[in-house]
Amino acid sequence: MENEIKKTWFFEQSPNEVWEYLTKPELIEQWLMKNNFQPILGQKFQFTFAAKEGSKYVGVVNCEVLEIKPFSKLSYTWDGSTSDGRIFNSEVTWTLVSKDNGTELQLSHDGFTVLEDILNHSGGWDSCWKRFEEHINATKK
Amino acid sequence: MITQTLDAFQVIADPSRRQMLMMLSKDSMTINALAENFDMSRPAVSKHIKIMYNAGFISIKDIGRERYCTLKENGFDEIQGFINYFDKFWTGKLKKLETLLNNKAKEK
Repeated sequence: MENEIKKTWFFEQSPNEVWEYLTKPELIEQWLMKNNFQPILGQKFQFTFAAKEGSKYVGVVNCEVLEIKPFSKLSYTWDGSTSDGRIFNSEVTWTLVSKDNGTELQLSHDGFTVLEDILNHSGGWDSCWKRFEEHINATKK
Repeated sequence: MITQTLDAFQVIADPSRRQMLMMLSKDSMTINALAENFDMSRPAVSKHIKIMYNAGFISIKDIGRERYCTLKENGFDEIQGFINYFDKFWTGKLKKLETLLNNKAKEK
């Protein structure tokens, strides 16, 4: 079972160009969500989106800039709620690597608190999880 | 006995239930054998079992006089679904970003 999301995406544009789309509110909005992002360490900001009709889903993601290295790394907290109203905390990290006349953009979304509670339980839940995974895989075969 | 139905996150929020699931991840166990490991009354153990059963974390099978609990994957699906949701979310967003950047390049 995965407890983090990792994605690697290649863009033909330079890291500087991709960086703009990660750090300029009006550009971020074009592909992600409305936001009031500011590229300042420790800055709190929010992503907002329209909740679906009839859903309790809160259309706000609360964030705080954790790390910012121009054109190479950006990380912020990502605290939101699930469709059933459960609050969760997590972290999003963007890493830009100049490659083949373009940019390799790495995304990591992890540290989900709801899952940490399961995975880091002192009673050895972690190892249990591995066994559970094996169990599941064996069942599915 | 009326037992409320809890969702997957509520089920695993309880340390005793987590421990029970952990034990069951090693092998199927009877309710009695499970109960021996916990400092709580047998009805209390049964209540936890019922909660886990209702949420799809375990199945219960009667063999002779004993009731055997076995781990089931359904309960964990909800948690996996949470991760899958974000996985899809980001793939969609990154595709959008790619299209945006490529369109911008064409305009030049």
